[in-house]
Amino acid sequence: MTAPLTLSHYMIVAGLLFLIGFFGALTRRNIIGILMSIELMFNAANINLAAFDRFLHPGGVTGQALALFVMTVAAAEIVVGLALLLAIYRGTNTVYAEDFNLLKG
Amino acid sequence: MLDQIVFYSLAILTLSSALAVVLHRNTVHSSLFLGLSLAAVAGLYASLGADFLFGAQIMVYVSGIAVLVMFVVMLLGRASDLHLRQVNERWMAALLVCAVASVGLFKVARLHSATIATGVASPSTHNIGRLFLSDWILPFELISLVLLAALLGAVFFTRTENAR
Repeated sequence: MTAPLTLSHYMIVAGLLFLIGFFGALTRRNIIGILMSIELMFNAANINLAAFDRFLHPGGVTGQALALFVMTVAAAEIVVGLALLLAIYRGTNTVYAEDFNLLKG
Repeated sequence: MLDQIVFYSLAILTLSSALAVVLHRNTVHSSLFLGLSLAAVAGLYASLGADFLFGAQIMVYVSGIAVLVMFVVMLLGRASDLHLRQVNERWMAALLVCAVASVGLFKVARLHSATIATGVASPSTHNIGRLFLSDWILPFELISLVLLAALLGAVFFTRTENAR
């Protein structure tokens, strides 16, 4: 508990967060749950980017700048995803991924 | 010592609320836990000395995305959904995939088990601003174009037919 914090501490937390998000994206039936799980995975990647900056390149900001880009893309993704969900819900009246068979014909 | 206390408490908060997001049956509670998890990640950024990332995380994720998700949950939620199973029948296979992926992730993480932070964390906002407006000016402008496209896409997909 009192051992100094290393890069692998942060990488393990980020890895566990990624795995939790991955499990959620694979198993949630509700499409909003899937979108939330994807956000968790984005955050796991961002923790790693910030930790690489702190531990491997002290004083550098490239990782943090990349994390900001990831954050922007995640915001755009969730906005379009939720808008699509609203449009699909209007047609099918369901939020469960297995009921989305609009393309089946 | 303080470093370790801060790190471990934030890590436990992040992971336990992320588990609640994934496993909770009620989607409204799920989205509230998402806000908590993202706020704890913001704390992890602060512990890494990424001050601008901390602020951006609070502004974009906790007060933007989590609230947006909550709005949509409440717009689409039905009380009858609380009695339905929220996990599909292939969760065993998903658990297996996660277990296999975790082996690889921990192998990579163990490579850096001796890498400790050197020096003190310094404020990074100034340097990020310089980087964005000099070397990274093109990706910076492109990402604002992406945001504009997302804005237009959201308006396009959510409008109703008779509102044209």
